[in-house]
Amino acid sequence: MKQSRYFAVVYMFVLTAVLSSMLIGLERLTRRQVKTNEQIAFERAVLAVFPQIEIKSAAEIHPVFTRDFVLSDSGAYEYRPSGQLAGYVLPFEGPGFWAPIKGVVGIGMDQKTMTGIRFYEQAETPGLGARIVEPFFYEQFAEKSLTEGSRPVRIRPPSEAGGNDISAITGATQTCVRLEKLLNEAVVQWRVKLQEQGK
Amino acid sequence: MNGQTVTKPAKQIILDGLWYDNAIFRQILGICSTLAVTNNVLNTLVMCISLSLVTALSGMTVSALRNWTPRSVRMMVQTLIIAFFVIIVDILLRAYWPEMSRNLGPYVGLIITNCIVMGRCEAFAGTNRPWPSFLDGLFSGLGYSVVLLAIAAFRELLGMGTILGFAMPYFSTHWDKWIIMVMPPGGFFVLAMVLWLCRSVEIKRKS
Amino acid sequence: MPTAGNFSSEIWLAVVTCFAAVFTQNILLSYFLGMCSFVSVSKEVKTAAGLGLAVVVVITATSILNWMAYWWVLVPLGLEFYRFILFIIIIAAFVQLLEMVIDRYSPALYLALGIFLPLITVNCAVLGSVLWMVIRNYSFVVSVGFGLGSGLGWMMAIVAMAGIRQRLDESKIPAGLRGPGITLIIAGIMALAFIGFTGVLQ
Repeated sequence: MKQSRYFAVVYMFVLTAVLSSMLIGLERLTRRQVKTNEQIAFERAVLAVFPQIEIKSAAEIHPVFTRDFVLSDSGAYEYRPSGQLAGYVLPFEGPGFWAPIKGVVGIGMDQKTMTGIRFYEQAETPGLGARIVEPFFYEQFAEKSLTEGSRPVRIRPPSEAGGNDISAITGATQTCVRLEKLLNEAVVQWRVKLQEQGK
Repeated sequence: MNGQTVTKPAKQIILDGLWYDNAIFRQILGICSTLAVTNNVLNTLVMCISLSLVTALSGMTVSALRNWTPRSVRMMVQTLIIAFFVIIVDILLRAYWPEMSRNLGPYVGLIITNCIVMGRCEAFAGTNRPWPSFLDGLFSGLGYSVVLLAIAAFRELLGMGTILGFAMPYFSTHWDKWIIMVMPPGGFFVLAMVLWLCRSVEIKRKS
Repeated sequence: MPTAGNFSSEIWLAVVTCFAAVFTQNILLSYFLGMCSFVSVSKEVKTAAGLGLAVVVVITATSILNWMAYWWVLVPLGLEFYRFILFIIIIAAFVQLLEMVIDRYSPALYLALGIFLPLITVNCAVLGSVLWMVIRNYSFVVSVGFGLGSGLGWMMAIVAMAGIRQRLDESKIPAGLRGPGITLIIAGIMALAFIGFTGVLQ
């Protein structure tokens, strides 16, 4: 063990190199899978906001998405089944209570009525904030309209929620407050862009 | 130190890991990385399996390399090996179970600083053959998992009325859900109760 | 790289994030990070304050270093998955360096902080807050605020706990609950109290 100091350095170097190259190899192998997962989650959410779209198997998602949806300059996707404009899908994202919340909201031809909403990425508290992905919550958005002004969507406590309001989830006030904020920001921004383009 | 092997029968290794040296209620070690996800049994289960596998495999690797590893860089080598296995778990989860990977957030990565993993590598794997080190790591991890799963089952049942997401009779219908159980204070309280119970049993047994 | 707004709004966001990390999302009381040393080193206020201070310094500094390492090195190279190893190396190296510097220039400070430094490398609060910072895509200024807040929040929790535990010394506590058990119950009550801060920030 005379050259132990050099040996230690070489040893660390070799070990690090061997382990790192194994990791890089594994990551490269799975990278495409990760990308596909993200893309499919997003596309699945987009298709789900229009109740009229029926998807029979997961294999259909990507073809239907690429056929019927076009990204427009306003930041929203235009839903064009058979070429005719039939609605918009506005993606939104922002900080939730724990980690970012990402989702898409479907908006009808009138640019006012929501057709549905889905969240494809979130990590809110299980049993509380994470319930935004449950039907009882997201189904409320369908058919509600986006009001004028800076607060097009209102998420309010169930006891105070009016006809056009969304009932918040009890115990998940923070998630709901943040969700409302980031959703409204996205809608307001979209409106500004639409106006600029004179649509 | 190098080359010496302490022989300990497999049965003893298993019992030590599960009860006599149980990391949680004996040593209060390594709770940080998992306690936060114990409001949901499934998340806890995945965390516990990951932790047990990482502990076992890093123990085995550290042990296999023990005769070549210079003492001066021992800790660095251990950290490197542990991080290696944690990253593998992270990559696999991200590729094949993206939702779980998001639910666990930073907690998978925090297995690296979990005192149990490092503790077993240092205390056991450094002086034992690979196979016993593997067993030791696995059962230390399992001893830890049993406690955390008990906590998680309790929290999910009382807080949401479900276990593993399945609605439980009575709890999902007539039970007034204790939201506090799903929130952080619930984790502290339930862990304290588990500690109290296990330690009381131990005190009884000794006297 | 996380996009930054204009400077003053960034600063404001950093202040808010810092405040949130101390009160509404305390790294220990809501994320359970740094529990091991929290349970074992909270017996005396003076020691707890020393460790707490060391944690504040280390988290803030390593947030800066790790932010740069992640967004300037790992992301351009497409090696994000490598962050665990890099972060832990940076934290360990920084702690080592800090220990040497303090030892050299301020023996008094070394006596106060030095003994805690080795404990910090394996404190999950440090790695945890760095990982949160990356997951949440904080911009640089906000990351600094978040790091500082996490450290301060952790320090506040451990000092408060030590103060309470000193008072408990003479209380009659069931044998099985003594030590860690009662500490966790108190931590639970503190966490409950901190939930009261939720909603302060909108």
